[in-house]
Amino acid sequence: MFAYVVRRLLLLVPMAIGMVVVTFGLLLIIPGDPAAVLLGQDATPEAIANLRGALGLDDPWYVRLWDYFAGLLQGDMGRSIFLNQAVSQIIMGRLGATIELAVVALIIATLIGLTLGIVAAMRQGSLVDTLTMLFAQLGVSMPVYWLGLLLMLLFAVQLGWLPAIGRGPPMIDAIGAALTGRPGVLWDSLRHIALPALALAASSAAIISRLVRASMLEVLREDFVRTAYAKGLRRGRVVVRHALRNALLPVLSVIGLRFGALLGGAVITESIFAWPGLGQLTIAAISQRDLPLIQGLVLTFAIIFALVNLVVDLLYAAVDPRIRLR
Amino acid sequence: MNKFLITASAIALMAFAAPLAVAQDADTLVIGTDVDAGTLDPRLTRDTTASRTADLIYAGLVHITPTLEVVPDLAESWENPDPTTFIFKLRPDLTFSDGSPLTAEDVAFTYSTIIDPDFNAPQRALYTPIASVEAVDPQTVKFTLSAPYAPLLTYMDIGIVPKALVEGGHDLALQPIGAGPMKLVSWNRGSEIVLEANDTYWRGAPEIENVTVRIIGDNSARAQAFEAGDLDVIQSPLSPQDIERLANDDRFGNAIMAGLGVNYINFNTKDPLLTDPKMRQAFSMLIDQETIVNDIYKGVDQVAHSIILPSSWAYSDAISQPTFDLEGAVALFNELGWTDSNGDGFLDKDGQDLAVTLATHSEDPNRVQTIEYMQAIFEMAGVKATAQITDWPSFSTNYVQQGQHQIALLGWLNIVDPDRLMFAQLTTDGSTNWGGYSNPQVDALLQEARSTLDQPARAEAYQQAATILAEELPYFIVSAQGYQLFYAKDLPVEVQATPRGNFRGLIGFTD
Repeated sequence: MFAYVVRRLLLLVPMAIGMVVVTFGLLLIIPGDPAAVLLGQDATPEAIANLRGALGLDDPWYVRLWDYFAGLLQGDMGRSIFLNQAVSQIIMGRLGATIELAVVALIIATLIGLTLGIVAAMRQGSLVDTLTMLFAQLGVSMPVYWLGLLLMLLFAVQLGWLPAIGRGPPMIDAIGAALTGRPGVLWDSLRHIALPALALAASSAAIISRLVRASMLEVLREDFVRTAYAKGLRRGRVVVRHALRNALLPVLSVIGLRFGALLGGAVITESIFAWPGLGQLTIAAISQRDLPLIQGLVLTFAIIFALVNLVVDLLYAAVDPRIRLR
Repeated sequence: MNKFLITASAIALMAFAAPLAVAQDADTLVIGTDVDAGTLDPRLTRDTTASRTADLIYAGLVHITPTLEVVPDLAESWENPDPTTFIFKLRPDLTFSDGSPLTAEDVAFTYSTIIDPDFNAPQRALYTPIASVEAVDPQTVKFTLSAPYAPLLTYMDIGIVPKALVEGGHDLALQPIGAGPMKLVSWNRGSEIVLEANDTYWRGAPEIENVTVRIIGDNSARAQAFEAGDLDVIQSPLSPQDIERLANDDRFGNAIMAGLGVNYINFNTKDPLLTDPKMRQAFSMLIDQETIVNDIYKGVDQVAHSIILPSSWAYSDAISQPTFDLEGAVALFNELGWTDSNGDGFLDKDGQDLAVTLATHSEDPNRVQTIEYMQAIFEMAGVKATAQITDWPSFSTNYVQQGQHQIALLGWLNIVDPDRLMFAQLTTDGSTNWGGYSNPQVDALLQEARSTLDQPARAEAYQQAATILAEELPYFIVSAQGYQLFYAKDLPVEVQATPRGNFRGLIGFTD
């Protein structure tokens, strides 16, 4: 087990190198000059050429790539062209917000997805089932951008229950504060994250609920479920203890994959709700051709995604003892 | 497990459902804006948030009023002993917000860094006629110009930075120190900039104690956050639909006025198809400004008639570009030899169909719609038109700025002086003359107009140049951009909007 984890972690290194090279290549190909964007429309061609030199953009590509790797080895991801700050510092300052949003959205998606999926499977063909699957269809097909604006319109503008934008105190601090007797902080934090997390969670909740339903339906027909009923166990116990545990396996890997999708969805959700995370930053960095920042962000996303997959694989083994990790 | 599910769902539900209004800090003004500042060093600002926030943290020699007049700020007075010399007298006992004195040395340092090519200031082109700047005594600064340059005063509102601090390695970009009405408290990148009143500003602290500039990239989301009460003030850019709705809501005050930007068509005069001014005239007659402004921009912008903005002192309604006339355009094409000889519905000449590429950038949906609408009209007139939409960096730096376009739709902002929209853009080999336009007569007029401080004479020269340009059409000005500001009516101060979008009119300074 330990050896497995170490090996998986070591595999991150070639993956990271590959990511950097691919991103670097893409950035070489796409048109648009950060020096010209930085200086704006008024800039003279001489000024742009001068700034290109100062930014090191005129060096041959292999020199730039080499410099980047040399920096990475020392933990230096370069300096953002537009934000005048070290890339690692910028990313660390915002990583928490994005992970918080994605984790809360994942929890909401899983709760809703599991609940709806189980209910629909237990009452297959009923009105509940139809309504649930209708919701799932809607959730999958509604763009997060549109849903976000609708939620904001209803809960913030019309009803005035929740703040429309921004982030409260970081959730970790807020939980700490709540445990030391100041629940108001956590409340503030939850109120801020509610809308963006819900908007972000919707499509994942829908996908998970469909999957749970299908998987449950299959398991509920198995012999051991019938046996459990025959032993006279209560229905709830059979469903949760016997059926759900077995139906959960395929769901688990999908939940892991959804985390990647949530990070991607966060890019849009964050810019609508002014959530100060990496997503917003990614859009800005790409539209400005802020090369070092784009590199750093892609690398960060890739590593998070790889780590989450590792955790999912470990969980897999925990849920199903038949799986051995080697 | 069951219990856990129920408790967890209950917590999640509670979090969404129960209403609880968190009162906003009563004495804080929250301004919504579209982008984060890239830097708070006033010499390096390039986005609107940066320059507007810097305008609160720093003060310049002069201040530009909402009616675009130049009035003293840090400078008490100035004089021009001759057209190439400006001498500024500073107010006595000025200090930066950290308590250190502000002297002529700081002014000289600020301007000499801006004109230094290696400093890479985005606005350097506006200041290049400054040959040298020196501190005559602690309260007097002398600027020597290489040639007379009338617009200079309107650019002298740029913030003065503390020389000693900067030379000591202090990073103004992240920790700004200025002599303006406010100072920085904290800056959460990508989220908000928090400011508080600066008691040492020479006019005294502003009425508003605290300002938070909150960044919300999406225009519609920003409008909704304003309606929900999360923001006290929002301003352009806003989408036309939101403007209509907010303007009719009597909970909010508004200021809707002509802005300082234009949307225009850039004709590449070096393109073989477009070298003849008559061809550019014919294409211009296919641009249906009324529909573009009223239906796409919902009347938020104004139809433009010439390269001089209606808000300018140089404006004259006697100058007019060609107006929409489909038949007239076709007749002009026919006259130039383009006829539909093979009956396929497209004009042709020497076996070649009349084909052009219309280009703009994808970030602005209104511009994309405009290009698509133009494409339809062009096709009606028998012109094969291709629409090319790419993102801003590809469109601007790799296409238009390289002179690879034929007909491109884009914009200019911050036109505080007519020089700003004409000199660099339309004089022969001007630094932003991407369409390669050249007319010695226009060159002479534009040079003359920036060389005298006599405003009527300047207006006359600009009008003559604009008349020629309205006929030769290197630029076709589609619309003058509108400017909108909305604010909550319960603000404790009188709100004074400026088409530049600066914030001083929101914190109690009404001039």
